[in-house]
Formats: sequence, structure tokens, C-alpha cells
Amino acid sequence: MVDFIVNWIAFTPVFAVPLMLASIGLIINERAGVLNLGAEGIMLMGAFAGVVVYIESGGVLALGTLGAIAAGFAVSALFAFMVVTMRLNQVVAGIAIVFFASGLTGLIGNPWTERAVEGFTKVDMGPLSAVPVLGKILFSQDLMVYASVPLVYFVWRFLHRSIPGMKLRAVGENPQAADAAGVGIDLMRFGAVVVGGALVGLAGGYLALAASKIWVEDMTHGRGWIAVALVIFARWRPGRAVLGALLFGGIEALIPRIQAVGLPVPQYLLLMMPYLVTLAVLTYVGLVSRTGSGAPGALGLAYVREDRR
Amino acid sequence: MRASTAISVGRVNLEVRQGIALWLHGLIVLASIVVGLGISVLLLVISGIDVSNVFEEFIVLTFFDSAGLADVLLEWAPLILVGLSAAVAFRVQFWNIGIEGQFVWGAIGTTVVMIYDIGPAWAQIYLMFLGGIIGGMAWIAVPAVLRLRLGVNEIISTLLLNYVAALFVLNQLFGAWQDPAAVYYKTAQFADHQRLPQIGWGQIHVGLFIALAAAALVWLVTERSRFGAYMKLVGSNPRMALASGIPVALTVLAAVMLSGALSGLGGYLVASGQEYALTIYVAIGYGFSGIVIAFLSRNNPAAVVVVSFLMAGLYVAGESIQVFYGLPEALIGLIQAIIVICVVGSDFFVRYRVRWMR
Repeated sequence: MVDFIVNWIAFTPVFAVPLMLASIGLIINERAGVLNLGAEGIMLMGAFAGVVVYIESGGVLALGTLGAIAAGFAVSALFAFMVVTMRLNQVVAGIAIVFFASGLTGLIGNPWTERAVEGFTKVDMGPLSAVPVLGKILFSQDLMVYASVPLVYFVWRFLHRSIPGMKLRAVGENPQAADAAGVGIDLMRFGAVVVGGALVGLAGGYLALAASKIWVEDMTHGRGWIAVALVIFARWRPGRAVLGALLFGGIEALIPRIQAVGLPVPQYLLLMMPYLVTLAVLTYVGLVSRTGSGAPGALGLAYVREDRR
Repeated sequence: MRASTAISVGRVNLEVRQGIALWLHGLIVLASIVVGLGISVLLLVISGIDVSNVFEEFIVLTFFDSAGLADVLLEWAPLILVGLSAAVAFRVQFWNIGIEGQFVWGAIGTTVVMIYDIGPAWAQIYLMFLGGIIGGMAWIAVPAVLRLRLGVNEIISTLLLNYVAALFVLNQLFGAWQDPAAVYYKTAQFADHQRLPQIGWGQIHVGLFIALAAAALVWLVTERSRFGAYMKLVGSNPRMALASGIPVALTVLAAVMLSGALSGLGGYLVASGQEYALTIYVAIGYGFSGIVIAFLSRNNPAAVVVVSFLMAGLYVAGESIQVFYGLPEALIGLIQAIIVICVVGSDFFVRYRVRWMR
């Protein structure tokens, strides 16, 4: 039983980090007022690019990771062009991006499908990793798990303790006021979308190179949508997004653990858990947030100067 | 430069149009579709397809050949229903992205009649019809209530339920409902009296008339009934609708349930008219197609009928291109996505007048 729990906790970060990176990226998007429903597609492109670059470069992990970031950056630049520059409907554009990414990776992905990759490996910290219980949980994760801690802290510092971050939030909260105060709305939103999108791409790349260690068509399986839901659960705060990601990572990590010990739970019903729990969490948020969801004031609205609302 | 309602992006100046002539609007949308098709053709060329053949071999064989046209008409029926389903929900600003899940549950509701042999044999095809509608409605009821009572975002909830529905089908097909005689995972075949009768041209069955009747009915409801007028008001301005005493929540609920019923009916058509079984692939691609059709038709039921016919042509031509050149299924989805992105983009030129500054 202790083994089961230790293993479960030790496997949680691998599943939590993709959700965490994606929801942190989405928080940067949405704090600037852009609702990015394309997350699932951006993650998919990140996962695909990560594996392709990793394989083609002969297994250079840094390049694979950079490829994922670049893919996230590129797809979100397309999305940003649509919703920020051209001011198109953010919901429709986001959904279109998801299917665009799914179709594109499905069409060109065949040569790289189902080729196992080594990807991220556990860091060996010598005696520390050998410490019973704690060694396995805290000192045997991969580099990205450790890197994500300062990353989240940095994003939080930026959003809530810096002048540019304050301007970004102002753009998402009240673009008219921010515009009047001299903040460049388009530039700020474009920047927020591509930087956040790069993180979402990284999330996908990590998913492929660390969690599944393989590229399969449509392999994100709704994790981008779960990240969109996590942002709502987190009330658009990075700290709470980490908690939510750990919760969902824990649920996802539980599935292979239960299968490994051979508990007689039907596997397909088990696989429903992340989706059903997401729905339950959204319901819970709906029940408790009578006073407002904490969403940025101008979330999902295109900004046109002097436009009548 | 006019000071009001103008934006400058670099050297480009955007002016918000006060109104747009119908011909210009149509021209812009048409141009965007042409651009989308152009990009798609370019993609086919990159994938190593001889495009000069595509027109002759596939477009002509799809629309101007008896067997090809029969395939298009067969595919048309479920596409009308998913297009209507999306259009009805979008009209009341309910983003039903879970059409695929409701479609699956329509097929499950149909199959249940076969599995448990419900009712007398002559009535089963009608019970399956009801089962399809109930399945689709049941699957959308949860997101509908969550949205109306608790404000839970329906985009996320309907989408997540797609995965749950697909996993449920897998659970049944790899378990209780599996046909031990089948080579791949599906239920046992429906008996003859559980199948929609064919009309004697290709595989076309009476489901096509069901779909067309549904389109006529939805047109009557949305364009000629009080409920349809409520839907329009709720969709365009829910606050004003509420203030003027319209039962907003009830209107949304009714429209959304209608949307679920239409998707479920699509599942019934495919299960009872084409596959004669519940399979893993019963709903694949229909969800996004419904959204695309509704979007391109601007949620107009009459336009849905036309656009879904063209979409059926894309399906059939796409399928033969796939088989012929050994390309993956994702091809059709990608072409749809590219066309949608281009048509969404056309909205920009509809709303703004673009001027270059020197």
C-alpha cells in the first residue's frame, strides 16, 4: 500500500506539468483579454513538433523542446493574427485552430507515428535520490519538473508584481482605460498570446517527450480543454493553477497505477475519470462562485477604439 | 484619417463600416471560400497529388456519376442533421461542441433496442427512432442544465462529454455488447426489420427523407413560429429579451434539447441505415462537420441543406482521394478547418474598410 501511494505521488508531476504549463500559458493569454480555445490544437502541434525535431535531430532533447516551443509560438501567432490583428470571433477562431492542428498533424504525421522516443529522463541525484520515499518523490523527477517551479514563480512575479504585468492585466480588464493610459493594446495582446501559446506548445512537447514518449495522432486527448477548464478553476491565478494541475495530474497518474496493480476496474471507465472530474470541478466552481468567477473584464472581446458596445 | 471608429495597424488604417451592400458581403465570403479551396489544393499538391486529375477523376465522378451521386446523397442525410443541430444551438448562443457525443448517444439509443430486443418486431424501427432522439437529448441535458443553473461554460462541458461518450462505446464494444463473430469491434448486426428501408438507388435509404423533413420542420420552427422569434431575440440580445418578458432560460433549454435530438437522430440514421451496428467509427468527424456547416450557413436551416450537400460531396471526393493516394482520414478535417479559417477571416473585410496609408 505504501509502495502504491509513493509510486502514485512520484508519477504525479509527469502528468501535472503539461497541464500546469498549458494553464499558466492560458492565464497569460486570458489575463490580456484573449480567450484561447485553440489550446488543444496548440498543444497537439507542440507535441508533434517536439517528437519530430527530437527524432530528426538524432535525439537531442533540448532541440525537441525548442521545437515544441517554436511550434506553439507559430500556431499562436496565426491565432493572434486572427483574433488580435483581424479582431475575429475568438470562440470560432479557437475551435478552428484545434481542428486545423488535428488535421495538419494527422495528414503529415505518419512517418513519425508510434516511434518510441527516450525523451526526458529522470535526474539521478545520487544519495538524495536513494533516500526512501522522499528520494523517489522529490529527487528523481526530470529537469522540466524542476524547471517549472521557478517558471511559475516568474510568471506570477511578472503578472502581479511588475509594471508590464500590470499593464497586461489592465488590457484584459478594461482595454478602453488601458488604451487611454497609453498602453498599446494590440501589441500587448499579440505578445501575451504568442508567449502564452509558446508555453502551451511546450506543454504539448513535454507531454509527448516525457509522459507518453511517443507521437500518436490526436494524442493530447482533451488535455488542452482540461487546461482551459483549469484556468476557470484557478480563477485566473497562477498559484491556484498549480494546485489544480497537481490535482488533475494526480488523477491521471492514478490510472496506470490502478492498472499496474491489476485492480478489476474496467479500463475505459477508468479513462473517463479526468473528463468527469473536470466536469465536477466546473460544477463546483459554478456552485461556489456566486460573487463572480474572477474572469478578466474584457475576456473574449475584440478591442476596437471608440467602438460602441 | 477619421478620428472615430478607426484603428491603425502599422501602415494600414481600418475603418469600421456602418453597413455593407449585400453583393459586396456575398463577394467577400465567396472570395474567402475560393482562397480556402486554393490553399487546400496547394496542400494536396504538396502531398504529392496530381491536381489536374483531381478535378476529372474525383469531382466529376462524385457529382456527375450515378454511383458517386448516390454516395453523396447517402452522406448528405446525417450531415443535414448535424448541421441543423449546430445551427439551432448557435442561434441561442449555446456553443454545442458536443455534437459528436450526442450523435454517439443517438446511435447507442438505437442499438439498445436491438441488444435488449425491446418491443414487438414491427415497432422496433420506430422505437429506435425514439431511442436515437432520447439518447441525443439525454447527452446534451447535462451541459444544458449546468450552463443554465450554474453558468458552467458549455463549450468545455459538451466537449469533455465527447470523450466520455467515445470511451463508453469502447467499454461496451470490448465488453457486454461485443459481437464475438465480428472481425473488428462492433455489436451484432441489426436484423432486417431493424434497418431503414432502402429506396433502390445505391445505398440511399429513407433516412434522407427524415433529414429533409427535419430541415423543413426546423425552418418552420425558427422562421415561422413564436418560439423561433424568441430564439432570435435571445440570440441577439439576451438582456433585452429578459427585460421584455421572454422566457429566456426556457427558450435556450428548448433550443438546446432540439439540437441534441437532431444530433441523436443523425446517430440513428447512421446506425440503422448505414452501419447496421454500433461501431467505434459511427460518429467520427460529424461533430466538426456540423459546426462547419452551421457556420458557413450562418445558422440558416435552408442554407444548411445546401451547404451540407456540398460538404457531403467533399466527404465522398475526399474519401476516394484518400483511398486512391493512401492519405490519412485527417485530410477532410484539415480542408474543412482551412475553409473555416478563411471564411472567419472574411468577417474582417466585412466589418472594416481597409485603407493603405502612404
